[in-house]
Amino acid sequence: MKENHNISDELLIEELNKRLRGYKDALEKLNELNSQLVEVNKKLTESESLKSHFISNITNELVNPFASILGLSKSIIETSEKNPEKIKKMAFLIYQEAFSLDFQLKNIFAAAEIEAGEALPQISNVNIIELTSGLIENYYNESQQKQINIELIDNISNDNKTPFLFKTDSEKLTIVLSNLLSNAIKYTNKKGKIVIEIKQEDNMLHISVKDNGIGISQKDQKVIYDRFKRLDDGINSLNRGHGLGLSINKAYIDLLDGELLLESTEEKGSIFTVILPESDIESDDLSSEGNEIFFGNDELF
Amino acid sequence: MEKIFLYPSALFASRKPHQVTTILGSCVAICMWDKKNRIGGINHYMLPLWNGKGLASPKYGNIAVNKLLSKLENLGANKNDIIAKVFGGGEVISTQKSNMNIGERNIAVAKEILKEYKIPIISSSVGGKNGRKIIFYTESGDVMHRFIRNTKNG
Repeated sequence: MKENHNISDELLIEELNKRLRGYKDALEKLNELNSQLVEVNKKLTESESLKSHFISNITNELVNPFASILGLSKSIIETSEKNPEKIKKMAFLIYQEAFSLDFQLKNIFAAAEIEAGEALPQISNVNIIELTSGLIENYYNESQQKQINIELIDNISNDNKTPFLFKTDSEKLTIVLSNLLSNAIKYTNKKGKIVIEIKQEDNMLHISVKDNGIGISQKDQKVIYDRFKRLDDGINSLNRGHGLGLSINKAYIDLLDGELLLESTEEKGSIFTVILPESDIESDDLSSEGNEIFFGNDELF
Repeated sequence: MEKIFLYPSALFASRKPHQVTTILGSCVAICMWDKKNRIGGINHYMLPLWNGKGLASPKYGNIAVNKLLSKLENLGANKNDIIAKVFGGGEVISTQKSNMNIGERNIAVAKEILKEYKIPIISSSVGGKNGRKIIFYTESGDVMHRFIRNTKNG
């Protein structure tokens, strides 16, 4: 009887320990979940404050270039025609302001369209090389100011003269590449080098933009796709922008079923690679299999 | 009637009659329809919850439901007259870990949020191992539904 009692005591303790461990495990899991929630909550609050920060920022970003454009064009009107050099210089400044304004507005509209769920792929046969070299030309002024050399490596054009065509959305690809190129120029030091390489592997289009700029730390690589997030945010930031570019890129590449890869080392530079499948837009209809069900409005369950 | 293909992360609503087709794997589409005003809309989300990462697009369930509802209300629909039909959330990719059950979580989010808004789900076809093709008629609120095999993850 006594022995029995002892054994059951031991069993009891064992059972209690077991349960205690169970509770401990549950508690740990709960703590883990809780910390995840805290993290998400932090992100959401941060995102909200970034959003209001963005709205106050954007006013400056849009109003200042307009003020310069207005001022400069007024001076052109007032400058005597005998001074063509001065007019040319001012026209150049106007062009630059308008170019950056155009780029920013395109991004803002793109973000608004994505957030409204109205971004749709519009597929056509795109001459990728032409599109890319056109972009490089567009950024010629910006890159020249920092004496950055942009090289295009073309691994897709054949020897025969037919241009390489790829079925994708040219407008969205243009915005994606503009954002990558613009960032590469922003975050590359003077006299740096940017290499854009285009190739095709297993029917996938690879476009990589490589710079030897300041790079992105492992920690920052996690947040660069967040909207309104800028790593050099602050009053003293030399670069313009509003932190929408990469979040737009992510959403657009998603829409085109592609992938965006990043390799980066701090102080060494970054490589962003866009990988896109060729669109098969004609074949989006499916063959019928005869198991159609009709969901009218009468049944209630 | 105009025909529309609804891409993942997009949403569509209109006062005019439209025929909207979409393909679902683990994604979920919610068709909402105002039975008095005969205005319909549909979303197609890929992941359950937006957690502050990236753009707040209708790729995420919590965003997609709110946006569709406010879009319908902007078009003149009345929240109290809206009914919902829920589709998708299949586990088409079987190699996923148990806590990665995206389809299941997508379905749960639909049910939770619709319950919160007191929008009745009058019919649904969710879960399972197959993908689905649905055609939604915005004017009548009717949905044609068919199972498909070997879908992508849409």
